[in-house]
Amino acid sequence: MKGFPACLEDLKAQGHTLVGCFPLYPPLELLHSFGLTPVVLWGMREDITSLTLSDRHLQPYACGVARCLSELVISRGYELLDALFMYNACDTLRNLPEILQAALIRDGRELPLFRMHIPAVPLERPYAASYLKDRIRLLVRELEAFTGKPFSQERFLKSVGLYSRRRRLCGELEKAAAEGRFNFADCAGIILAGSRMPVEDHIAALESSIQSAGGRDGGGERPGVMLSGILPPPMILLETLEHFGLRVAANDIAALKRSYAYQPAETGDPETYYEDFYRNHYPCTTILPSADRRVDTIRRMVRERDVKGFIFIGEKFCEYEYFEIPEMEKMLRKEGVQVLQLEMSMDDILNLDAYRTRIEAFSEMLCQGRQCKEA
Amino acid sequence: MSSEKSPGKFQKNTSGKRLSGIIANDYLTLHRRASEGAFVVWIAIIVPAELFNGFENVVYAVPESHAALCAGKGAGRILCEKAEGFGYSTDLCSYARIDIGTAFDGGKDSPTFGLPRPNLLVSNNNNCSLLVKWFDVYHRAWNVPHLVLDIPFCYEDQKESDFRYIMDQFGTLIRTIEEMSGQKFDIEKARESVKLSSEALKEWKRFLSFAAHRPSGITAFDSFVQMAPILTSRGSRQLLDHYRMLADETEEQVKSGIFPVPGEKYRLLWDNIAPWHQLRKMSGRLADLGANITSASYTYCIGALEGRYDPYMFDGGDPLVWLARLQNFSVCPHGLNLRGKAMKEVIAKNAIDGVIFASNRSCKVYSLMQMDQMRHIREELGIPCIMIDVDHADVRKYSEETAFTRLEALLEMIESRRAQ
Repeated sequence: MKGFPACLEDLKAQGHTLVGCFPLYPPLELLHSFGLTPVVLWGMREDITSLTLSDRHLQPYACGVARCLSELVISRGYELLDALFMYNACDTLRNLPEILQAALIRDGRELPLFRMHIPAVPLERPYAASYLKDRIRLLVRELEAFTGKPFSQERFLKSVGLYSRRRRLCGELEKAAAEGRFNFADCAGIILAGSRMPVEDHIAALESSIQSAGGRDGGGERPGVMLSGILPPPMILLETLEHFGLRVAANDIAALKRSYAYQPAETGDPETYYEDFYRNHYPCTTILPSADRRVDTIRRMVRERDVKGFIFIGEKFCEYEYFEIPEMEKMLRKEGVQVLQLEMSMDDILNLDAYRTRIEAFSEMLCQGRQCKEA
Repeated sequence: MSSEKSPGKFQKNTSGKRLSGIIANDYLTLHRRASEGAFVVWIAIIVPAELFNGFENVVYAVPESHAALCAGKGAGRILCEKAEGFGYSTDLCSYARIDIGTAFDGGKDSPTFGLPRPNLLVSNNNNCSLLVKWFDVYHRAWNVPHLVLDIPFCYEDQKESDFRYIMDQFGTLIRTIEEMSGQKFDIEKARESVKLSSEALKEWKRFLSFAAHRPSGITAFDSFVQMAPILTSRGSRQLLDHYRMLADETEEQVKSGIFPVPGEKYRLLWDNIAPWHQLRKMSGRLADLGANITSASYTYCIGALEGRYDPYMFDGGDPLVWLARLQNFSVCPHGLNLRGKAMKEVIAKNAIDGVIFASNRSCKVYSLMQMDQMRHIREELGIPCIMIDVDHADVRKYSEETAFTRLEALLEMIESRRAQ
């Protein structure tokens, strides 16, 4: 798969107007309805090999996500992107807009930036819902000014339809992998690629992958594990999991399941659509009001998918994730599920053998002496 | 301030002794009233505590302040280790680890025997949003309701729409306490409390204003310690009286020619939360070098609107309006430009020679713009700046010698600039 910057280069060459978005759940449909191509600046750990420019602005205890996206924006944002969009999430990301803007201005460059505050209180409260709707209205006006096009309900509904289809296909592909009909590493790679390609192309890629999954051998008897974290581990570790006889039966990865699991009802009204989207979003550590639903959701999935082992992929310095791990672990142990915690930092990408050993040991524990390595 | 204070050393003075009494009394009263049936709320530091004084029998506890106290008293490390033993990562904020270590071990090793079990948790996400996750830990472990105040981050002055959104949330907070405690909110009592807070903050700024004197009448370490009752006694007559006396005593000391660092050669500004485990050591060692950290962004922001220094005074009107407008009174909810604006004002006002950016891995929201801020201050004002690594409450993440190597380099830079 092409790296993130190379994908953006191709899109630029094809004439796309690219909006770099962060964090993970921006209003993609709305941006798309204005003829823009949103790309989500997330999970570039394997593509961004040097952090020289980012390190001039962020201390090394910022998470890899923030450091990679800063590096991309500062080094090449001005030529690869046409604008940035961000909403509030964690303490690290909320500092980035000014840091990135300052860095670009310093180099004599500028990039339009759209910001939006998404309520961190339950949207069941009427004033919170009304506050969000005001923000959406404001964003619509800003996008109209930016693109010179008026908002169109028809175009928005069409964009909603495309993203809805994409989410459904992601779910289908994940299911194929959970049933052992498709390699999970490939599945994750194809789904993650959606962050850097037009939704239309992504739908085509997903459809083709799902078609190819039909004829594969099952392998559903391998012990099922569930992965959780902000990002999946590097592809080579996903392959390692399967190599050691494990099957990814479910995932709670923010860049995967949490991004496509909930699809709001289709409507041409963006205010109603995004109220539904953020209110009923699949539980994520970064969407604060959803936190209370998270343990139950994971427990249910563990039972439904017969998960035997749970692997936390900790993104070093991601406090949102780490605060919830002890409680989650307690629940999982009560369910009789074995737990493995891995922690990934920027430097670890260069030294993956230690992780392989731990995954192998975990696999042996789950297989309980049975031969469970893939042929 | 008093003549008991040895030059150059951080020692308890008259105001300091009075402060110890206030803090001890605040915690004792908190425990006593909780045991007598008061409704107990745990809050994040910027939650408008004055509102609780609008109720007959509501008391509040501040886990962040308690954690700072533990760190200052040398209990930070052991309490952090307890939390780590419960599965909480060492990369999490040390305040949170201290507090979780205390709460899940029944208050053992805490100088205040911990905090009384809450009936309600109220966090906000403007000082830092991880507070929400931290309070969620108790919410789930103890099945205690958790109300979040969602305060939009300030990249510029507070917007009208954000102000209205905050006001609506205050309404939810009041109704929640009324429903849970069975008590009725009295806005007149809240107004009186806000009036006292506003006056107290004016006295606080008067106390800080002696940092402009040469030599400075205070050290930032005094302000770190003296800020504690803003968190534990907010909206009380006691707080106003204490800050008035503190400012009066400081004024008297200055008039009498008594200064904390009499041989003051270098006037410095500190940017970040106080290094609670190092107050004595750092202040003493700096004073020996003729250096005084006279000002700190952590304490000069208190009572002011975003990006400003002067106190924002209550006009006697709706107390909720004043509280909502002042919801960004700490540095953390401000963007880079607003922080820089206030910092430049203080640098000019207090004739600062150099700035110490304390890079604090426990507080990303404070720290993760310092590299740019440092560059701006250095380039725009030509003032020497350094960055040192500190953790506000976990002494294991601090190296005194490494820090002082840089601090000494800062003093050399100042000397060299003067020589030019």
